[in-house]
Amino acid sequence: MSPIDWLVLGGTLAFIVLYGAWKTRRSRNIKGYLLGDNSATWATIGLSVMATQASAITFISTPGQAFESGMGFVQNYFGLPIALIIVSAVFIPIYYRLKVYTAYEYLESRFGLENRLLAAFLFLLQRGLAAGITIYAPAIILSTALGWNLSLTILLVGLLVVFYTVSGGTRAVSLTQKWQMSIILIGMFIAFALIIRGLPENVSLGDAVSVAGMMDKLEVVNFSFDPSERYTFWSGILGGLFLALSYFGTDQSQVQRYLGGKSVYESRMGLMFNALLKIPMQFFILFTGVMVFVFFQFQEHPVLFNTTAMERVYETNYADEMRQLEARHRQAHADKKQAIDEVIVQLHADNETALDAAVAELKVRDTVALGIRQEAKDLLNRSIEDKTKDYDYVFLTFILNYMPVGLVGLLLAVILSAAMSSTAGELNALAATTTVDFYKRLIKKDGSERHYLMASRLLTLGWGAIAITFALFAHLVENLIEAVNILGSIFYGTILGIFLVAFFLKKVRGRPTFIAALIAQGTIFFLFAFLAKEVAYLWYNLIGCGLVLILAWLIDLVLPRKEA
Amino acid sequence: MSEDIAKTPAPEPERKPPLGSWSRMYLFVLGFLGFLILLFLLFSNTYTR
Repeated sequence: MSPIDWLVLGGTLAFIVLYGAWKTRRSRNIKGYLLGDNSATWATIGLSVMATQASAITFISTPGQAFESGMGFVQNYFGLPIALIIVSAVFIPIYYRLKVYTAYEYLESRFGLENRLLAAFLFLLQRGLAAGITIYAPAIILSTALGWNLSLTILLVGLLVVFYTVSGGTRAVSLTQKWQMSIILIGMFIAFALIIRGLPENVSLGDAVSVAGMMDKLEVVNFSFDPSERYTFWSGILGGLFLALSYFGTDQSQVQRYLGGKSVYESRMGLMFNALLKIPMQFFILFTGVMVFVFFQFQEHPVLFNTTAMERVYETNYADEMRQLEARHRQAHADKKQAIDEVIVQLHADNETALDAAVAELKVRDTVALGIRQEAKDLLNRSIEDKTKDYDYVFLTFILNYMPVGLVGLLLAVILSAAMSSTAGELNALAATTTVDFYKRLIKKDGSERHYLMASRLLTLGWGAIAITFALFAHLVENLIEAVNILGSIFYGTILGIFLVAFFLKKVRGRPTFIAALIAQGTIFFLFAFLAKEVAYLWYNLIGCGLVLILAWLIDLVLPRKEA
Repeated sequence: MSEDIAKTPAPEPERKPPLGSWSRMYLFVLGFLGFLILLFLLFSNTYTR
């Protein structure tokens, strides 16, 4: 990386962090610290909600995913606008009417203390672990690709976030997120423009899109009912609906973003902003990935993009085998490029028959190249047991090798900003829940404003320390990472179930709901421990939520009511 | 008790979204989702051979 890139990267991050801390240095009470004095407008809420959801992995991994398997991933977001409408129509007015600080506070007014504590506890458990991963996952990829020290990268991101979230609270989080999201969007647009400019002179954007389509990267919607297909319209709209409903309606890291709004109007508009923009944004990020794919059809690329892992293979007995694969891949890529050149010629000549023949030839050669890439991946797993996904390195390889000086720094700032914005939202929400639902409710009920403000600050610091420590030691428990990634799905269903009973089954009481929630959570744990292969974890949301709703209703019928 | 209520400042009247009412806003969002899905279908069918 050049000194200019370092300057751009350092300058961008320093500006955002100092701006956030400076603008919010006068937080004097708990309401200001946790709800930002209800001063946020819909634009701030909208960008803040978006920035909390978009983690660094979104920008590292998503383009790579499109490179590998096309645009189908966008279907996962089809349920999101519907979920946001439900949150906006049902959840927001209730939270505002009761003037709650956390989503779980509402559960006490509806059911009693036990349900509030259970939901808050489940949230802390999963979000507390996830916060560590939000820092660790991009840090491991950045440190591998750039040769940075892993621990230093984790400490840099972690400490910067802790600095402004502890000092400025929710307002600092949303103010910085507004800037972070702006940098992210500008950076991605510039990157896209430069990818298109990087294509050979005789290849227009239209040609690039045609080539991507011929190579099966542009199938966006898939109506197949085959359960083995990973992304379909049905799993997207149903699974996506439940996931987004739990996340936006009951996860404090999101609820806190819109509870800081000036009014119900501003909060709702903030969510509608996301309902309209989220799918086009994901489409754009995936489309950028597909264009990177087309770029690498004309430009030679390594057989595997994780070059650090490749270097480790060279030090083993498998080195020769890997070198042979590289040589074969180089040849296969050259053959494929010849076929693509022919496709472009026929596209311009508008000769359908010749074009069909050229496309058929291209597909054959692409299959050969893909086969070699798969052999290399298998060899990597055999030789050094590397479990990272190679496609995570595609976009970074592109940025580092083909972007102009200055922009490399800006795009790394995009990735680190995304890591910081999600982590900030999480730490802020963890501290709010611990303060409001546990400390203030159970331990010290009659403290002063100053006291609770200090407690919130210390708890933000504490959660920051836990997240950073977990991130620093996450590499020791590599196999747990995947488990942590699916933690959300393990707990979300139960939490959403409790909330849905509260909203829609008005006659059901607290105790039956509590018992139902415990049984549902136990069942999900059982499925995860013993039937993980039979039941895909995305279904946990639906099963957990459905179980709470049905069991709460049934137990309520059976459990005797106290005489009034 | 009634005095307390009288002292409570009246909540600000809720501003309405540009489309008139929230249900129309929600319909607009759903319509946009449908439009996007149709657009994606058209896009897929045009370019996938």
